[in-house]
Amino acid sequence: MTMQIFNLIISIVALTFIGFNILCLFPENSRKFFLWEAIAISFGLGIAALTIEMLLFYFLQFDFNVTGLLLAWLILLGVNILRISRGRELPVIETLPGPVKAYGMLDIFLIAGISFEIFHAFFRALVRPIEAYDAVAIYAIKSKIFYLANSIPQEYFAYLARLFPHPDYPLNIPLAETFLYMCMGNLNDQLVKIIFALFFCGILGMFYFTVRRFSDRTYALLFTFLLASVPQFNAYATNAYLEVPLAYYYFASVLFLLRWFEDSSDVASLVMSAFMVAMAGWTKNEGLLYCVINSLMVCLFVVSDRRNFSLKRLLYPIFYGSVIFIALFPWNLAKGIWHISNDEINLANINPANLIKQAGKLMPIFYELQKQLFGPKKWNILWPAFFLVLAIHHKKLFTRTQKYLTSSVVLAVGGYIIFYMISYVDVVFFASKTWSRFLIHFLPVVMLLMAMLLKEDRISSYSKRRQGEGGQ
Amino acid sequence: MMIRHRVLKILLLVWIILWLSFTGRELFIKGNLHDYQMLMTRSLEEKRSYVTGDSLYELLTLCNERTPADVTYSIIGIEEGSLDKRRAAYYLYPRLESNVRPDIIIVYNKPGVKKAGYTFLAGLDDSRYVLRIVK
Repeated sequence: MTMQIFNLIISIVALTFIGFNILCLFPENSRKFFLWEAIAISFGLGIAALTIEMLLFYFLQFDFNVTGLLLAWLILLGVNILRISRGRELPVIETLPGPVKAYGMLDIFLIAGISFEIFHAFFRALVRPIEAYDAVAIYAIKSKIFYLANSIPQEYFAYLARLFPHPDYPLNIPLAETFLYMCMGNLNDQLVKIIFALFFCGILGMFYFTVRRFSDRTYALLFTFLLASVPQFNAYATNAYLEVPLAYYYFASVLFLLRWFEDSSDVASLVMSAFMVAMAGWTKNEGLLYCVINSLMVCLFVVSDRRNFSLKRLLYPIFYGSVIFIALFPWNLAKGIWHISNDEINLANINPANLIKQAGKLMPIFYELQKQLFGPKKWNILWPAFFLVLAIHHKKLFTRTQKYLTSSVVLAVGGYIIFYMISYVDVVFFASKTWSRFLIHFLPVVMLLMAMLLKEDRISSYSKRRQGEGGQ
Repeated sequence: MMIRHRVLKILLLVWIILWLSFTGRELFIKGNLHDYQMLMTRSLEEKRSYVTGDSLYELLTLCNERTPADVTYSIIGIEEGSLDKRRAAYYLYPRLESNVRPDIIIVYNKPGVKKAGYTFLAGLDDSRYVLRIVK
């Protein structure tokens, strides 16, 4: 067991190191990452890069082995070592903006709260093996198939996958689990759950540093604490469902997109955003919705920034879509070759005539949604608080950066409503089982939007106080 | 602005109170603390048995021990599409389910099931046993 834990830690470090090497490809003039922010991004990036490589191994008819899988990344490491030896800086900085101030009581409380939630997530994830319904039926069975075959078996798509539910569900996390089993040398479906708690930490890390960029430490800690303490979010970091990994990739893609909105010459951020959102699609089919939403945000950016409008900028959405297409190509190729499609939703049903025909489903969809929004057991008072903040700041919702986040949230909710309407599954059953999970996907974006909106309150009250002090 | 700030402070206070009460509920009222105590001292195999239910897990372990990895099976006594059925499929893999003359029939909580062309292979008690095809 001790050896397995040691190997598990080494393998996670290796995955993160792969991701970090990819981040090192960012041009030197791009905005730098904070060290822990870079680590948080590198973890998911490394997993995605490795699992795509594993899928390519399937096409090349290679068996998996840890050395072989890691060997390919040595080339990237070599390139980075060469660049650093020639004086290139790493893309990380270690210090945060603003003066260093002593920790107050509130800071200590918030840090204790976040630490408790992280510890709680790790504990709950690691205390029991994979056992929840979808986690066993859809994902763990796939990783067991791959681990025992030491590959994605050549008959997998044609035969094996169809013996179990949802053969069309993407393989990012099952393949990541397979890699960890291989590193541990054992099908330890208890220890492997550490990745879900790590995705949870990854989101918190990215979130904290994003808020920290535009505010002080206490404010960033406060919103990180609020995010970490949403019961539903924490619970899904422990049960081996893929909602938190999907939320991670989508949130990372949004953050890279915001970086690009701030500086549209930073094309590396645009590429990384497209890659991360594609990885959301490589994690769960719902991720494809976010591919569409982010692409629309790029279009919105190009259209709304009239001062810098040029024909060249019109190519950005096409470029963004192309990166998504390329990143998802191996998976879509496999699905296309073996005619694997979703048995619950047919996108061809998205047409006005059909949507009008299905309008009767709207009642149960909204009924189940409001049960989530006003039920505190899963969400604390997040949604009422969110609506209150929206009401107070309704004038700022569609200004500056907020307009992208607001539009994304509206489109995500709208997208899920359309999913429910065109689904073949009984809508009451489907909505009652899934709304609470779908809301997790864009929860970090909702929290970030709240932090951005309330920040302006804080700045204005601070400057009023300063004026008052000056007057006295 | 002051009223707005007070409202937000009250919301934060309510959040923290609910957070503490939900965390306490999660640990103590929902019985998770008992589960954690039970799980922490067990091996991985024992944990799998605990979360699956000892009764079913014993039967699945018996199948894994007494049948080759390439047999096909069907199960009597577990509802189609249920969590137990999914867990059985997971733990029994690489044995695959088949409804057309499977190599073995796993009977769970159903005493006295007899099938033409099948004979008794192994059992734990009179309601949990495995039948194998007569070749």
